Amino acid sequence: MDMLLLMGADSGLGTGPGPAVPWRKVLWERQPFPDNYVDHRFLEELRRNEGLRQYRYWAVVREAGLVAQQISCVALFLTLWLYMEQGLLSPSTLLWSGLLCALLGYGFYQALGPQGDSDSQQRTRWSDLQSASIFLSFTFGFSPVLRTLTESVSTDTVYAMTALMLLAHLVSFPYAQPSPPGSLSLNAALFASVCLASRLPGDHRASRGLNSSSPSSLHTFTMLCWALLVFALWPCLRQRLRECAPQGFGCVCLLMGLSGVGGLGSIWPGGAVLLAAVLGAVTLLCPLLLIRLQSDKDNIHGPWDEAEIREDLARFLR
Amino acid sequence: MVLKIFFPQCCNKADSGLLVGHWLPGQDSAVVLAVIHYPFIPGQVKQYIHQIRGQSGVDLAVLGSWSMPKEGQEGMESFLRELRTIFPQGRWLQLSREMGKIGFTSGGEGKTKEEKTGEEGDKVIFVHYEQRKVMLSQLHPTDPPVPLTQSTSELRQVFGTVSQSESLFFLDKYDDSPVKLTHWQSEGREGSIIVELMKQASTPVCLLTAWILVLWTSLCNSRSVCLGRVLEPSETLKANIFMSFLLDVTLGLLLIYWLYRENRVGQLANALLPAADRVAKELEELLQWLMGAPAGLKMNRALDQVLGRFFLYHIHLWISYIHLMSPFIEMILWYVGLSACLGLTFALSLLSDIIALLTFHIYCFYVYGARLYCLKVYGLTSLWRLFRGRKWNVLRQRVDSCSYDMDQLFIGTLLFTILLFLLPTTALYYLVFTLLRMVVVMVQGVLQLTVDFINSFPLFALGLRVFRSYTLAEGVKFSVLCEEPGTPLHLMMDINPLKFSSVVQTYRTATYSCYPKDSWLALCKKLFLGELIYPWRHKTTKID
Repeated sequence: MDMLLLMGADSGLGTGPGPAVPWRKVLWERQPFPDNYVDHRFLEELRRNEGLRQYRYWAVVREAGLVAQQISCVALFLTLWLYMEQGLLSPSTLLWSGLLCALLGYGFYQALGPQGDSDSQQRTRWSDLQSASIFLSFTFGFSPVLRTLTESVSTDTVYAMTALMLLAHLVSFPYAQPSPPGSLSLNAALFASVCLASRLPGDHRASRGLNSSSPSSLHTFTMLCWALLVFALWPCLRQRLRECAPQGFGCVCLLMGLSGVGGLGSIWPGGAVLLAAVLGAVTLLCPLLLIRLQSDKDNIHGPWDEAEIREDLARFLR
Repeated sequence: MVLKIFFPQCCNKADSGLLVGHWLPGQDSAVVLAVIHYPFIPGQVKQYIHQIRGQSGVDLAVLGSWSMPKEGQEGMESFLRELRTIFPQGRWLQLSREMGKIGFTSGGEGKTKEEKTGEEGDKVIFVHYEQRKVMLSQLHPTDPPVPLTQSTSELRQVFGTVSQSESLFFLDKYDDSPVKLTHWQSEGREGSIIVELMKQASTPVCLLTAWILVLWTSLCNSRSVCLGRVLEPSETLKANIFMSFLLDVTLGLLLIYWLYRENRVGQLANALLPAADRVAKELEELLQWLMGAPAGLKMNRALDQVLGRFFLYHIHLWISYIHLMSPFIEMILWYVGLSACLGLTFALSLLSDIIALLTFHIYCFYVYGARLYCLKVYGLTSLWRLFRGRKWNVLRQRVDSCSYDMDQLFIGTLLFTILLFLLPTTALYYLVFTLLRMVVVMVQGVLQLTVDFINSFPLFALGLRVFRSYTLAEGVKFSVLCEEPGTPLHLMMDINPLKFSSVVQTYRTATYSCYPKDSWLALCKKLFLGELIYPWRHKTTKID
């Protein structure tokens, strides 16, 4: 009987034989419709662009500022390295200034921190002191080894490795929660700084009579201390600042960007221009693009999506 | 139904009498073992057969009658027919042969009254076999001795029957016994002239040989030592060991003769010291090359210098030690050379040990290099996991993510960088010393294989195969003797000797040798990871 109906029906979707029973979306029942029948209720459960977020420009800019800040941190570090490499800064000066900055930063950190009981604070200070001493002793102990580590590797390889590692650092940085720094990002940054530190010239500069006690071990040591400061400790302070004093945070961001560009410009003007362009693009252009392209978004959701398990399943566990 | 009768060749010309043999269970065949001649007393025949049955374990029976009439012996037919009533059996063979004719006929096989179903004209095939050869031969592949049941093959049953009926062939025609038999030994028991001479001439030597054999076998009171007796496979193996030992000692004595003839020992000792010096010098040059820029590879200069100087000092110590030993070397070598009288394998093993002692510094270097490399690889894998923020979970035997502390991260990264950049240097030293060690191991391995070969080569079995090829049988082949219409078919059964390669394979003595128990893949993996390789580990045997 169904065959007769099929043969007798006109071709064309939607124009079925028009029986009284409505079409149901089931497969276990033989229905009096042809196989290629398309009901008018087809795709009625389709939903488009569900959960779309409405971005506001300046909020996005503020968030993108974090990325820009990290880029300028990297630029600052590279500036320091360039200065040391060209011998414009002596390592001892840099070392003392670094220690001073560390102490200042620590003071700020404690001042801004939540006021707990003095006992836990003391313990934290003691463990901080332990960590600091471990850092310093290890770095100082390994500096002679690190000095000659990449001696036989060609300069191009070292630069390429450094660039790769810094890129990895930027990509894997936990921008949302930088306070305990992510393993990969910190390790990549430290690896890059070791590579750079081992490339610092020491021997032939010592002959020019620069004041340095052990010619290049001190260079390496200084470099590593600054790497630690910039990549490991500064994000913690930044996070604390952001939590406790948001207005100051904005000022600090701006300051970081300017000093990065300025510092690079003093040694390498072309680099400064490049950095400014990158910062501008990241901070201003990319949010614009994001918001503009939202209108082209076309996601479809339907009953074919993966089931998401919501939180409260306790009511099923009777 | 075809009836197969295995008839010994020695009985072809026997006088008329009774056929004694064995019906093979489950097959339609019979093996004739001997012929009992007239005159005999049936009671004594039965008693004798009963006695032999008890001694040999073979189910002997009187199979039938055999008639080869000579002149003046007429009227045998009726006598033979009456015999049937004296020895009541299930089946009765009546074989007869006429002088001058090749074939013989079998007539009138009677069955018991129950089986007379009119199947007359059963085909009969006579398979002639040489009794002595079949008795002494061993059918390969040899199974462990099981009683001949219906499940073993017919050929195996035939061979087994003949070899187990040894006690039947004991009486010869010179013995005074009430029963007169014809079989392969009836012309006189086989003995060895050499053994008789040895017994007469030198009793202690015989006693010594006998004592040595007693140590290995328990049958030492047979009259003929090797020749007229069936050899069990285990005895062949023991004879193999004995022969290998003799060969070994002979070669060792030859070696001693060659060594001590023109004071070659002294020459050897004098050449040893310069050889050791040269090896040390070559090693030093190698290390100097490594300390430079070997093959253009990028080595860390500081580490290079450290390792190179360390190994150089080691070599210097070694050379001093050798020079200290130099006055005693000749004497030691002299006594060591004497020990070759215990066999060439002994001397070869000693040589292998001397090589191991002389290259001890190479072994030390290999161990240092391997341990350093292994440590480095282990550290690198662990720190690489730290680099990515993961950790090895020992409980679950998998890699998990882990949040590290700041100082852990810092020190971990530093160490990772250092280990990574120092890897080529260490890897190169490890590679060089591993190769040297492999060379030494291979030399020792070759010596060990030679020792193995001398020990396991089945000389005795090969000798048997060459001189008495019938003792090691792989099968049989049949050739037609007489095929005339009207008479039964006569076939001759010849023994197919075992192939030489099968002889070597079957009779190789298993030696207590230590084969490396790692496959090639496992070996490569161990080399890559820097684990130490012990090529001479014995397989651990479980002792209950």
